[in-house]
Amino acid sequence: MEPVPQPVPHKRTPLRKDADISRKSAFLLVPGLVLLVAGFLIPSAAMLFAPPDVPTSKIFARLGEMLTDSYDLEVIGRTVGLALAVTIICVVLGFPIAYWLARSPSRWSGVFLAVAIFPLMLSNVVRTFGWLVILGSKGALGQLLVQLGIVDVAPQLLYTKLAIVLGLTQLFLPLAIISCYSAVAQVDPGLDDASRGLGGSRIRTMWNIVIPLTMPGIVVAATLVFAGSVTAYTTPYLLGGSSQRMLSTQLFNYASTTVDWASASATALIMTVLVFLVSGLSSLIGRKGATS
Amino acid sequence: MKRPITAALAVIGYVIMIVPIIFVVATAFTAGSTLRFPPDGISLRWFDEALGYEPFIEAAISSLELAVLATALALLLGVPVTLAIHRGKLPGKGLVEGLFLSPLIVPELVVGLALFQQLMVGLGLDNFSTLLVGHTALMLPYAVRVTGASLALADPVLEEAARGLGASPLRAFFNVTLPVLRPGIFSAGLLSMVTSVNNVPLSLLLQGRDFRTLPVTMLDYVQQSYDPMVAAASTLILAATVVIAVIAERTVGFAKIFGGINQ
Repeated sequence: MEPVPQPVPHKRTPLRKDADISRKSAFLLVPGLVLLVAGFLIPSAAMLFAPPDVPTSKIFARLGEMLTDSYDLEVIGRTVGLALAVTIICVVLGFPIAYWLARSPSRWSGVFLAVAIFPLMLSNVVRTFGWLVILGSKGALGQLLVQLGIVDVAPQLLYTKLAIVLGLTQLFLPLAIISCYSAVAQVDPGLDDASRGLGGSRIRTMWNIVIPLTMPGIVVAATLVFAGSVTAYTTPYLLGGSSQRMLSTQLFNYASTTVDWASASATALIMTVLVFLVSGLSSLIGRKGATS
Repeated sequence: MKRPITAALAVIGYVIMIVPIIFVVATAFTAGSTLRFPPDGISLRWFDEALGYEPFIEAAISSLELAVLATALALLLGVPVTLAIHRGKLPGKGLVEGLFLSPLIVPELVVGLALFQQLMVGLGLDNFSTLLVGHTALMLPYAVRVTGASLALADPVLEEAARGLGASPLRAFFNVTLPVLRPGIFSAGLLSMVTSVNNVPLSLLLQGRDFRTLPVTMLDYVQQSYDPMVAAASTLILAATVVIAVIAERTVGFAKIFGGINQ
């Protein structure tokens, strides 16, 4: 009789190999992890909660002051308000563009898609600078309004909320278009046709079919635009100036001009919490949408 | 057009995205010395001025240096991480990946302040090293996520076959895995370079006397003098960006790299 093969050693070897691979792959992580921890996580945590020579309690005291002081509240309110406005505008403008790009199969839609994405590669300073030329005191828009006889003197357009909203919309509209485009492209155009064929109007098809199905993409778009607007620096700096301070320009002021670590950390905390809150809310909505 | 509302919204959207860029280019060719519109005559004098303006040239070289080094470093650190996540048997892979993507969530200005305070003021690191650490940390998510996307498409059986046929792990990596990763590495590299060169919020507080980055230098210039030289510099940057976009389009497809859109 042939002896039955012993299964025991075969059972043990793969196990040891598994542990070996696991140890080796953990080793691959080490260099990246060192940079991430020493160059990002520890400094960020230390700055937020334990800046040099500042007790943590002072940061929270400053945070409490900011959340009650009328000037600081105005800055926070302006930041959130403008970011919300920009988010709504970007979705309202970006969704139709994305829908049109995804659903019109002409060769021009490829060109227009490229034109919508290209600004993402272009420096924010370059993009924002254009608004200085348009909105400045000798700028194109003011001159146009005067020449058309609508106003006698060119109005103050720069350093206003309008200027910031225009600048941020320009900056983040491409992101909104891309997120919505990916979502629309995943929806079967047959569903639109079916709804239309069954007598649904264009508007009803949009509201009852396309928008609910693309909601996850719209939520992602809104999150990216809101978080980007809350944290953007170049645009509020160039187009808002010191008369329209936002959290980012305020943070720079505390960190660089007044070197007030406690206030800088408190402002950074507000900004970070705002972004985390919105990201968390958005992934919660996304998860809820996926299960229902 | 059959959809007047869609068409109107699309026109407004494109006007807001594109018209300011057109105005930058138009002002760059002015013969006058202010940012007025319409420009006073046509000349190339502001291009001459921009190309002869030492601080801009030095800053442009510094920005490129930083972008190349940070991108190379991020790829060197990031590709092994991608391999560990996708090919290794790690406990808590999702957590590890989340950790490496975390620099994308924290506001860049906050990271900039943290590095300024903790590394430059606290540890006395010079501003170039601090910028390099910051930019590398910021580019790490791109290196991990974008190369990960191309690794996820490849069949791990290929690598196992190479190992089974007697190739050493290193040989299997260079001959089988790396060719698969190449488009991902190219995309991640291009994305990081462009992001690094254009960065303002992270670099803002990390400027030094000897090493300054271009966008921050331009921002400071705009705040001090209101002349068309920045328009000319911006037009040159625009031209360079168009060239990069064309290269990206010819190789991997720039909608895919910069928009994450697979067409």
